[in-house]
Amino acid sequence: MKKKLVSILVCSTMVASMLTGCGGGAEEAPAPAATEEAPAVEEEAPAPAEEEAPAADAAEGEAPAAEGLAYTGDLNLMHYSTSEESEGNGGSDGFRTMIAEWKAANPNINLVENVLANDEYKTQIATLAAADDLPDVFLLQGMNTKAWAEQGLVMDLTDIIAQSPYAADYQEAYYTPFKTADGKVYALPALTGGTCTVVVYDKQMWKDAGFDSFPATWDEVLTAKDYFSGEGIDTIAFGNSGKWQANSCFMSTIGTMFTGKDWFQSIIDKGGAAFTDDEQVAALKFAQDAFASGVFNADFNAVSNEDAREYYIAGDAAAFIGGNWDVSYIMATLLEADEEKYNNIGFATFPSIEGAKMSNVQNIGMGYGMAINAKLADDPDKLAAAVDLIYKLTGPDFSNFVATNYALGGLTAVDNVDLSAFDQITQDFYNWSYVDTEPCEIYDSYVSSAVWDVYNTELQNLLNGDTDAESVAAAAQASYEANY
Amino acid sequence: MLRSIKPKGWKIALYLCIPVIWYVFSVFVPLITAVFYSFFEWKGGPKKTFIGLDNYVSLIKDGTFWQSFGHNIYLVVACIIGQVGIAFVFVLIVNSRLVKLKGIHRTFGFFPSTISAVCIGFIWTMIYDYKRGILNWFLTATGHEDSVQVWLNNPKLVMFLVAIPLVWQFIGYYMVILLSAISSVDAEIFEVAELDGANAFQRAIYIVLPLIKNTLLVCITLCVAGNMKAFDHIFTMTEGGPGTSSMVMAMYGYKISFAQMNMGYGSAISVGIFIVSLIVIGGSQKLVNLIMQGKGVD
Repeated sequence: MKKKLVSILVCSTMVASMLTGCGGGAEEAPAPAATEEAPAVEEEAPAPAEEEAPAADAAEGEAPAAEGLAYTGDLNLMHYSTSEESEGNGGSDGFRTMIAEWKAANPNINLVENVLANDEYKTQIATLAAADDLPDVFLLQGMNTKAWAEQGLVMDLTDIIAQSPYAADYQEAYYTPFKTADGKVYALPALTGGTCTVVVYDKQMWKDAGFDSFPATWDEVLTAKDYFSGEGIDTIAFGNSGKWQANSCFMSTIGTMFTGKDWFQSIIDKGGAAFTDDEQVAALKFAQDAFASGVFNADFNAVSNEDAREYYIAGDAAAFIGGNWDVSYIMATLLEADEEKYNNIGFATFPSIEGAKMSNVQNIGMGYGMAINAKLADDPDKLAAAVDLIYKLTGPDFSNFVATNYALGGLTAVDNVDLSAFDQITQDFYNWSYVDTEPCEIYDSYVSSAVWDVYNTELQNLLNGDTDAESVAAAAQASYEANY
Repeated sequence: MLRSIKPKGWKIALYLCIPVIWYVFSVFVPLITAVFYSFFEWKGGPKKTFIGLDNYVSLIKDGTFWQSFGHNIYLVVACIIGQVGIAFVFVLIVNSRLVKLKGIHRTFGFFPSTISAVCIGFIWTMIYDYKRGILNWFLTATGHEDSVQVWLNNPKLVMFLVAIPLVWQFIGYYMVILLSAISSVDAEIFEVAELDGANAFQRAIYIVLPLIKNTLLVCITLCVAGNMKAFDHIFTMTEGGPGTSSMVMAMYGYKISFAQMNMGYGSAISVGIFIVSLIVIGGSQKLVNLIMQGKGVD
């Protein structure tokens, strides 16, 4: 009897713990609660320091649009420009500054902000989308556009964008991730257009290795590797523990170098291109060989990009491959810690590869766009307020702010950015990002998260040498056919 | 007298209904909704397509799910041997008359159990780190440069390496449970056995083990249940990588649901985890009973 009792007790405890453990797929129910409590974390009065100077003149600039807003009440905004992130990150700083200005110009509207760090933001917004409980205004990631538009979660902004007072200034090339096959646009590209694949290198170290600048061909990099490994340092630092880095910051550019731009456009349009096409397989093969060659730090698959860039900063690696967010961090850190090394920073594209179609390519774009909850269609006043907010957050005020303060570009074109106020390194990066290089698309701004999750996981195996390029391509293609 | 203090039946029911409602809401409702969603193709959002058992058909054919299941079983075995086994040995040592400062041993033994899994994950990631980790430093310092490697990137070793922190963390937890079980056994029994000439090993196998059998069964069940839902340590250390070499079921369900936004299939995986876990736990209980029968109790 006692035995039975104990086993029943034990069984029920265990069932209880099991259930809480495997609630993964069923967690939609508690999700709405999060929206209510999350704003408390960072529901704040207009950010202090940041808004001082621009706020005054912006209020005038905004006047015509702001006056027409009849809506009073709450407007929910969810984004990931946290105050920590905004220190040193121009896009975040500009975004927060614009929000503060908009709040000041619209005192009758209570803008409720829910601010999360990017990783948490992605999980939470996905959960809210699943529960059909998205906030009024939020940042839509390019690769979710198609799926969420089909679900009727996001509003078609095509006409709203056309009616924008800044429509003439928008750089329409940035729309692509937020466009569906029928030409409808579901978000206004937000934050700054930044590269995802840049080679940051130490000019002095490469000079010591016998190169005046970063090598133009991959073969020369292999030659340089022999010198650097003799010195006990890694040639290029890279971190892929999160699995997305090898896609966003490597394959997206390398793939385009092999396939040309049309291939990926065809993947987006479902125009017949396949991951198993020879050029993509060749690119995957190259990636495998490159990571097996010893050019990269041996622990590339076990460390994150945050770790890898520290290798560069510490001088343990002669170069680093990462995105614009890494560049901001490296520049800010070195400027404070080691000015000589800061002045030696150089920027390069991935060197040309034998057999590849293109060179001097880098993937740049705006991965997130301001989207509006489709439900706002029922409330024209509220919709007008939301539209005004997204015009403001992506408009010329924002572009001017990031151009003059950070030498970065936004959605609207800024003519004659005065770079003279910036130091040489910042100017170099601006020119490298927007002037001197051939832009291409960021793979995971498009298609579907399901495809990229498979691709990224397989890619990590490939770079370890545990699978071959054909298998990776086949797995990605299978997921592409099943999910897109 | 007793009757006058005893609360009325309806009062007891009223107080009990609060936790019961909470339990039903947080446990049964999600389970039932997960079963419901698992019959749909649902990529999140309001639109779902009913597809019957298709998700379960895919689940049965899903190599990654069964690979993850294998990893969970690996963890279960490693942790029964590592956590409960080592805890049992430690308990015998701590209980021995030769050991001094028993309280300190107990306290420090339990200490790792109180640290959050994420911290443990980070601590061990640092230990395994290729460039700055203490493990590679030790190997270099002792002249074993050949063995230096990127530990968490080795698909053959990674499950073993992520199991170590798990084992390490919970030894103290089972120690405490087993200690309390042993302390409830009459000390005279051990004295008599000792006088009769039973050595330490014989006392452990033929006296201690049968006497704490039920507690041991609880420990093993807790251990199995805990490892069937392993997630946090591994998520912090490898996120299931390299590739899927350290993927466990709960993490796979999470990835399908939230990284791939495939809620319907994610729900099917959750239900799958529930079913295979019940089978494994039920099986392990049967197995332990079977083994224990030979030891002369029950």
